[in-house]
Amino acid sequence: MESRPNKIPTHQDMENNVVDRSQEVTLHEILDRVLNKGVVLAGDLVISVADIDLVYVGVRVLLSSVETLERIQSDKQKENEHMHGPNAGINR
Amino acid sequence: MDSDFIYVYCILDHRPLLEDQSLASSFEVLPVKEYYAAIKHVSSNEFSEESLKKNFADPEWIETHTRNHVEVISSLMVNQAVLPFKFGTVFKSEENLEKFIEEHSSYIKDHLRALEGKEEWSVKIYCDKKVIRDKIVELSNELRELEKQVRESSPGKAFLMKRKKTALVEQKTRELMKTHGQECYEQYKNISESIRMNNLLPRELTERQDDMILNVACFIDRKNVSNFLHITNLQREEYQPLGFSIDVTGPWPPFNFVEMNDSRLQS
Repeated sequence: MESRPNKIPTHQDMENNVVDRSQEVTLHEILDRVLNKGVVLAGDLVISVADIDLVYVGVRVLLSSVETLERIQSDKQKENEHMHGPNAGINR
Repeated sequence: MDSDFIYVYCILDHRPLLEDQSLASSFEVLPVKEYYAAIKHVSSNEFSEESLKKNFADPEWIETHTRNHVEVISSLMVNQAVLPFKFGTVFKSEENLEKFIEEHSSYIKDHLRALEGKEEWSVKIYCDKKVIRDKIVELSNELRELEKQVRESSPGKAFLMKRKKTALVEQKTRELMKTHGQECYEQYKNISESIRMNNLLPRELTERQDDMILNVACFIDRKNVSNFLHITNLQREEYQPLGFSIDVTGPWPPFNFVEMNDSRLQS
């Protein structure tokens, strides 16, 4: 992913070689913080609660689709091991 | 603009001095009761329920707006504590925001006081299992002995020994990851006022080739930050050759250290 500069201030005592990506925070770092954290409101005063939940759900959907993908891969691997497992190897 | 909604970045207890003037056009400061809210007026066209559904499906929109959310709050927290709002919090009107602040004044006051003088830092540790597997064989007498036995065995026996070696490499790799990850975590915990474990993100999100094994947010007293960074530097020197990558970023707005879904906030 192309890294983009950001304006997150760095601590004055920060040594340059410590925080190697302090000047280019990735999107996943940003999303990891802003989508499900911070002051969260519900009720009539705000309009976006349902929609914020949609963002959250959106990420969850992405995560669960990844999990599904991993599960499929894992199943395939198990299937493969079953077909070419230790017994199969020894019998050859 | 059809009608104005109020997008809220954060709440502060005194008027902020903005060090990064390039962000000055991104927001305005609204005095509300004894506090200040960093806000922007947004169009209902963009932030209505229907529009948001569409916008949330647009990665470019999400990236632009989430980065802006963090950048604005980060620029304001340089000189004072901020109470950051979750991305996308939109009030219907200034009156509603005022009502919220008035109703939750003590909550805001308590939290701003608790956040004063502290910083949120992120540590994500990744592991390259291929590197660890190679190193494990170098480091383990048991594995080196097994490797020797494989070389000296007949083909049939060597096959079984290889399988045993592979299983042992996996087991020792897991043990090493767990031990070092735990050691790092304990050190962060000791230096932090508070620490929060977050979900591990899959490669599809991190777009990295190695695996995330630890994702923590550390809430650190400002006077301990240099020490914290020194610790992460030492860990990096020690663990990087073993295939660990320690990714430290911050200071972040304290998103992880404001109570979520506080019942007092349900209006």
